[in-house]
Amino acid sequence: MLEAVQLTKRYSSIPAIQNLSFTLRPGQVLGCLGPNGSGKSTTVKMLTALLEPSRGVVRFDGRNIQDDLQSYRKLLGYVPEEAHLYPYLSGWEYLEMIATLRGMSANEIKCKLDSLLSLFSLHAHRHASIATYSKGMRQRVLLIAALMHNPEIFIFDEPLSGLDVTSALIFKNLVQELGRSGKLVFYCSHVLEVVEKICTDVLILRKGVVIAQDSVANIGQILGQSLENTFVHLVDDVDTVTVARDIVDVMEAA
Amino acid sequence: MSLLSPAPARNKWDLYRRRPFWRLVELFVARIFRGGGDSDAEGLDLGIGLVLTLLAMPGGFVSILLLDKYGSFLQWLRGMTNVDPLFISFPDEYFFIVLSMTVTGAVAVWRWDAIFPDRRDYINLVPLPISTRTIFLANLVAVLFLVGLIAIDANAASCILFPLVVGAMQTKFLFFLKFAAVHAVGVVLASIFSFFAVFSFLGVLMAVLPPRTLKRVSTYVRGLIVVYLVTLLCTSFAVPDNLSRAKGHVPWWTFLFPSCWFLSLCQFLRGHASPVATELSRLALPAVVLSAALALVTYSIGYQRHFIRIPEMDESALATRTFRRSRIGWLLQKFALRTPFQRATFPFVWKTLLRSETHRLVVTGAAGLGLVLASQAALNAVQSSKTLRQAAMTADAISVPYILTFLLIIGLRTVFEIPVDLRSNWIFQLMLDRDRQECAGLARNVILSVSLPLIFLAAFPPYAYLEGPRIACFHTLTVGVWAILLTNIVLVRFRKVPFTCTLPLFKQHSIVILLSVCFGYLIYAVSMPEFESSAMSQPVRLIGMVPVAAVAWLVPRFLWKNTTEVERKLIFEESAARNFELLRLSE
Repeated sequence: MLEAVQLTKRYSSIPAIQNLSFTLRPGQVLGCLGPNGSGKSTTVKMLTALLEPSRGVVRFDGRNIQDDLQSYRKLLGYVPEEAHLYPYLSGWEYLEMIATLRGMSANEIKCKLDSLLSLFSLHAHRHASIATYSKGMRQRVLLIAALMHNPEIFIFDEPLSGLDVTSALIFKNLVQELGRSGKLVFYCSHVLEVVEKICTDVLILRKGVVIAQDSVANIGQILGQSLENTFVHLVDDVDTVTVARDIVDVMEAA
Repeated sequence: MSLLSPAPARNKWDLYRRRPFWRLVELFVARIFRGGGDSDAEGLDLGIGLVLTLLAMPGGFVSILLLDKYGSFLQWLRGMTNVDPLFISFPDEYFFIVLSMTVTGAVAVWRWDAIFPDRRDYINLVPLPISTRTIFLANLVAVLFLVGLIAIDANAASCILFPLVVGAMQTKFLFFLKFAAVHAVGVVLASIFSFFAVFSFLGVLMAVLPPRTLKRVSTYVRGLIVVYLVTLLCTSFAVPDNLSRAKGHVPWWTFLFPSCWFLSLCQFLRGHASPVATELSRLALPAVVLSAALALVTYSIGYQRHFIRIPEMDESALATRTFRRSRIGWLLQKFALRTPFQRATFPFVWKTLLRSETHRLVVTGAAGLGLVLASQAALNAVQSSKTLRQAAMTADAISVPYILTFLLIIGLRTVFEIPVDLRSNWIFQLMLDRDRQECAGLARNVILSVSLPLIFLAAFPPYAYLEGPRIACFHTLTVGVWAILLTNIVLVRFRKVPFTCTLPLFKQHSIVILLSVCFGYLIYAVSMPEFESSAMSQPVRLIGMVPVAAVAWLVPRFLWKNTTEVERKLIFEESAARNFELLRLSE
């Protein structure tokens, strides 16, 4: 079980996240929603221990993850928001390096990489340099890197970005499958429909504070609306229809 | 309305600047300085101001150092009176010419990828209502602006300071003016020629070779150009003397060094040219015009072949390579690299060295300099001895592998500090244990995997052939031991995965480090070979090496033991040491 307890992060005394608490149990797929600047990425970075919280702790199975960071990271599969990869390495070389750092044996690496690259339709391009990959291909490399060591905890930050329709469908089913097999999944996204479809629970952030947290079914029932309308109701102060109309007005202005 | 405000003129200038063409020129100038290429790599991104300052520095420093030579009081103290300033400034003027050619040529090599519009420009600019001809012309104007700017910037300090220094003992201001004008013409033309010559050379390859082959050979060709430029710089020790002694026909070797043409042009403009110099001076201007014309032609062809056809080119097809795991790699993985960290990062470091252009260029430059200095030492050895066997036992010949390894080790150590695509280092931050101290070991493995085979190749076969296997083994082992000791010394307090940390800040002790490197060169590549040479004739002297080696072995260990736990932690960011610790008691 992964617990965030009273997490607070300040950048030069400006709070990015304040008193964030939640629990992620095996089999649970927790979606994290919020507009830009709401603190989603900061939350993800604290969960992956790339950032240390100013206050509060992240616990896994009751222990502070900072006490034994390496053991925690062995159990972690992380897909970051942007696909920053070394462009001069090939997809295979990059994944092989990560697998080796994870301590996988040569046979295991070959076996897993061959299979995963084929399943993600990258096998034919595995020896081309990453500089030549499209955004979707880079994203698939990141997904393979997060999956190949069979981790217990998955943290996905906008994982569908750039994926083609087929890959996106495969991935959505994969997340549900991971949940069913007892893994812990933390899923950050802007795409409400996807969160609604694949997550069991939702956490809505606004300006670094949790404003709603419940199961997907309950959160809609509270307001008697769809997740999209609930999100707009809770998070956005703007009338989206009016803003769209204003944009067209500006476009057409002489 | 304020009388002081030049508002209308500024508005007019702003309006002019905002024209699409000039905005494009601005864009290309910024891109050439800040880097292009299709990758989003951050790499070594230096600001325009810093680049221009760095380019201007060598000329300024050298001019100031020459005060010692030209100061009238110092000359008087040395008993030098009635010295012809034009005569004694001849070698220095040559040095400034080769310096300006080297600096400008190096910029052309370094920024080659950014000079041409690339795929990113194509994607951003071609959909706009701008013709490809406008893009072509704007980039051309940007390149010409760059050439002018660098030619002026790289020579500005020397154009003022050098004539001031030379004219220090002259009473007429006119001498200074004339000298400065001729010097400026010589160095600026040499700079322009150098830039266009490199541009044309690479442009011809671009026009002739298919994109795939070009991509492969480009770095090697650029490496060769760097070696040539370094060689050109090194000719300043010998060429002026040889040139002043040349009589009759123009010597053939002057055609290899265009710097001679520009030096002769300066002599000619001052009315001090010998017949040979007069002949050579006639080559200077046509060479500049020809190189500029060739650059323009190859640029146009390259633009047609590469920029216009970008959408037709399949990038992935360009870059696909066949995958082969080398036997050496397999052996290393099996036996030498023990931990997962070493097995993963050793190939990463090697691939970065081989594939990242900035890193390749820096290492090639260091290796090229080593090669030039080693060749000079070998030449000295041969010239000062009657037979090859005699030459082999001289300190000069023995110093060859020392020089090569010193520059290679220092070059590699320097290149480890240059980051590659910093944003991608998140994976190391996520996965590596900051308390495990394996980085120095990794860097040592990489350095030794390059330098030890080199030592073997440079030291064993020639000595085995000339002096027999016993001497060859002794020489190879000695250089090997010193190379290992030097590697240990340069890696003191090294605690980063190469290429994954931000650039080191300029610290107060940076100058001390630079001086230490120069001092280290004198000990390692000059004193040690002399010591070894004497030990070969009198083996008892070998005992003298033991305490030196012991100190070199123990000092890094002592320093390592005296570092705190915090100073040993793996880092990804170089930060200035804090003078105080913020306690954040309020949180």
